[in-house]
Amino acid sequence: MGYAAAKGGFDAIRSAEELVRRHRLEARSSWLEIDQIIERLGYAVDRVMGEGALWDPESSAIAFRQAEGDVVEAAHLVRAYRSTLPRLGYAELVDADEIDVLRRIVPAFREPPGPQLLGRTPDYTGRLLERSPEDESRRQAALAAAEAGDAAAAALADDGRATDGSPTDADTAGSGLEPARVPGRLMDVLRSMDLLVDRRRDDDPAAADISRVPARPGAPRSARLSAMARAETGALVQLWYRNILGPDRNIHEVTLGEVRHGRLPVRAEHPHLGRPVTVGHVRVTEVEAIEDLDGNDEDRSRFDVGYGLCLGHNEKKAIAMANLDIALHRDLALGDDAGPLEQSVLMTTDGLDASGFLEHLKLPHYVTFRSMVERKRAMAPAPVEPEATATEAKAVGASSEVPVG
Amino acid sequence: MTTIEDLLQQPATVEERKTPILDESSKREIRRACLTAVAVPGYQVPFGSREMPVARGWGSGGLQITLAVVGRDDVVKVYDQGEDGGVNAANLRRLIRSAEPVTTTTDPREADVIQTRHRVPEDVLVDGQILVLQVPVPEPLRGVERDMTELRRMHAEADYAKMWVSLYEDIVRNGIITQTTGYPCLVGGRYVIATTPIPRWDVPPLHQARFLSLFGAGREKRIYAIPPHTDVEPLTFEDVPFQVEEVVEPCRCGLIQPDEEPGAYLVELPGQTGETVWACSDTDWCARRRLEAGLLGEDAIDALEVDL
Amino acid sequence: MSPHTQPRQRGMIGGTAATALAVERLGKIYGPGGPEAVEGTGPEFARSVSPSTGAVIGCWDVSFAVAPGEALGIIGESGSGKSTVMRCIAGDQSASAGSVNLAGVDRPGGTPADLLQLAPSDRRALRIDRLSVVYQDPAEGLDLRVSAGGNIAEPLTAAGWRHFGRIRQRAADLLSRTEVPLDRMDDPVLTYSGGMRQRVQLAKALANDPQVVLLDEPTTGLDASVAAGVLDLIRDLLEETGIAAVVVSHDFSVIEMLTRRCLVMHHGRVVEEGLTDQLLEDPQHPYSQRLVGAARG
Repeated sequence: MGYAAAKGGFDAIRSAEELVRRHRLEARSSWLEIDQIIERLGYAVDRVMGEGALWDPESSAIAFRQAEGDVVEAAHLVRAYRSTLPRLGYAELVDADEIDVLRRIVPAFREPPGPQLLGRTPDYTGRLLERSPEDESRRQAALAAAEAGDAAAAALADDGRATDGSPTDADTAGSGLEPARVPGRLMDVLRSMDLLVDRRRDDDPAAADISRVPARPGAPRSARLSAMARAETGALVQLWYRNILGPDRNIHEVTLGEVRHGRLPVRAEHPHLGRPVTVGHVRVTEVEAIEDLDGNDEDRSRFDVGYGLCLGHNEKKAIAMANLDIALHRDLALGDDAGPLEQSVLMTTDGLDASGFLEHLKLPHYVTFRSMVERKRAMAPAPVEPEATATEAKAVGASSEVPVG
Repeated sequence: MTTIEDLLQQPATVEERKTPILDESSKREIRRACLTAVAVPGYQVPFGSREMPVARGWGSGGLQITLAVVGRDDVVKVYDQGEDGGVNAANLRRLIRSAEPVTTTTDPREADVIQTRHRVPEDVLVDGQILVLQVPVPEPLRGVERDMTELRRMHAEADYAKMWVSLYEDIVRNGIITQTTGYPCLVGGRYVIATTPIPRWDVPPLHQARFLSLFGAGREKRIYAIPPHTDVEPLTFEDVPFQVEEVVEPCRCGLIQPDEEPGAYLVELPGQTGETVWACSDTDWCARRRLEAGLLGEDAIDALEVDL
Repeated sequence: MSPHTQPRQRGMIGGTAATALAVERLGKIYGPGGPEAVEGTGPEFARSVSPSTGAVIGCWDVSFAVAPGEALGIIGESGSGKSTVMRCIAGDQSASAGSVNLAGVDRPGGTPADLLQLAPSDRRALRIDRLSVVYQDPAEGLDLRVSAGGNIAEPLTAAGWRHFGRIRQRAADLLSRTEVPLDRMDDPVLTYSGGMRQRVQLAKALANDPQVVLLDEPTTGLDASVAAGVLDLIRDLLEETGIAAVVVSHDFSVIEMLTRRCLVMHHGRVVEEGLTDQLLEDPQHPYSQRLVGAARG
């Protein structure tokens, strides 16, 4: 009944929200505090910031809690929040060489220029479920801290996540290790060995703002990189894997040059002084992937390097991104024969787009479904004969003509 | 933390800035895209679609247009499937009211802006009214072509032969054109558009309409328009008439009969045991007609108004 | 520049000796370098790869004219550049040099328009009703998932046909003419044999009565008996319709059957041209002699 439904829909929403709210407020365990989420669920917060495309650990932690752990939903909350914020200006471009690394590995060489700095990673820890009781863990942690006692070591072990990305006291204490924190770049080494093709170009000088101009096929590389930087991590990993194993095959033999996690300064032009000032820091993951060139039109005596950089600590995403950067370049170089990779990257990897569209299927669709049912009933059982005339081509059924035009 | 519930406690007529969903420069940018769309009827204008408090696919494009085009004291109607009280309509309505100093109505004749999903009101809309349609898939040619570069070329050159072939094949295979909703239409003799998924019943009112239709696709980041007094021709062959969904059985309201004017878009309500009842999709239109016919009390209308 | 197209005429055009298609010094270079890359390539150097730039010279300095109703053959082995010539005329590839004129396609003012200078959209428009192509691979000329009738409906609707019954009738007429059984007309072309697919391609190519049809190895890959049937059909159609044709083939029997005049291509150049029967009887260029010798086995 139409009228009853007018009230019913609103009441139903309110009731649904009440159930959500009651569970949040009345669950028996203690309330998750924001600093707990930032500190203890750091990878989740970093993913929310990356996919939400906003450096704001606190808002992201709040979103993550509100979304009850659903990362894509949390990223949606962050992006919707971001839509309400006026765009005051653009940050200056920073050189990624200014990075202050918390972790840096170079799989391509045993001893690259600069350090192999493992940093904080579970990479080499057996994936064993730790079931030790919580107080026992706390006691062990206290013991370990007392034994270490070295501020510099603590700084190296830290992944910088406890803060908003700005250097902490502990980090500053480690500044004696300056060269280790700002290492050289493997790409420069390869370039000096004349092993690298140069595809730097000057037609894409500023980073494209894909939140203002949608990234469509034909977009500049900076737009493609931006799209990947805020893409859903799983979508990029899947697309990468598909290009390795699946039908697309745009990635051949990859070696990672740089994998870094560290801090970069954010600078903006001072409104009065007119020169850039550092307004904060963000943590980023940066990856350079070295790709073997073996295509017919490629310089087979050299390598190419793909680039990936995303907010927070998310190595899976940055590695997939760097590889896809190359794959895209390669696919687009085919010109008219280009495959659908660019379209896939730009149009199908955004977590909000994909999950929003998927979930919209839950909305009422009874108006459209009624129309579909009508056509099913109108469909003639037998195909029209080849010598069909105009009258035979007319549909049978209950429909009638509506003159238009 | 301000919740939706908190927002609803605020009076609808506050003069001060309400809880924003879009900042003012974003609204201006969206209005510019709308103007471009009006200037080039049927052309899909790319725009920097913002993330909304509703998910992509849940009316984020329509919501952005509505927020961008409403002014102070405008009257807004939001409905979904023809129903003002549906869950999605109710949610969008309260979001719009929480963000902009507007009042809402269920009566499309009173509305300056009507945001809709899947329907065009049964009432005849007039000059100055804006119909905002939520669009899930703006590309009418996606069924026949997936490559975006090729799609752009086809629109640019008005090369719609593939679409015509698909209609030809449809008739050959099925005896009829089986396109159900979102029927492809030629706008102003130039661009083919997807008429959102509105039923075919709602296509004729778009032709040479007195109102402005704005189509917003938030996920795909495009806006397109049918300006007033513009030709909207459903693609079909000269000898294969365009067909709308007809009234096949009387509506349960008693006011709509097969082959009688005025018709209306009816939806089917199947029962547990296979029997079917038909009901008007446009709930407000139906209620007003029943009220006029003495089939519904004033108190029911009052109850509805309170809930808005 | 947009072409100013005149109403089409058959036979004599503009009072001068009729030319349906004129190709002047057509060239296509794949890879780096302009005309200077051409030096050191061609039959006398026995190579198509530029010694200076490494570019591949697809074709160079190819000129010919085809009169209405005439069929011109281009013969050569694979890699000789004959298909490149065809694709540059059709607009499937961009040419590097030369000009192409199609009768009735004029610039404002009445001088013939150079197809190579037209915007891609204008070139595509010519493909609807003035210039058709039949490809060796039916998948290039047809949408295999679509029925035979639907494939013919494409150029018809592109040319503005909007009457279902008449489109169907036209498609049926064309398919009967190319000897495709009408009871298969509504089946996807995917379900057709190779010979049948070529017949559908021919029907589609003729849909809007073009002035010129380009046939690229139309029977290559078909069984001999099937190929013979398709060749018979093509010959009859060309005679019936008076359409000008360019037939590209590596096979002298195809050229002999369909054309009166032909060019021999080798390493991207025309090495000999003349009447087909004379050329077969008495080839002048050593390469032509070799080709004819091989064909006569």
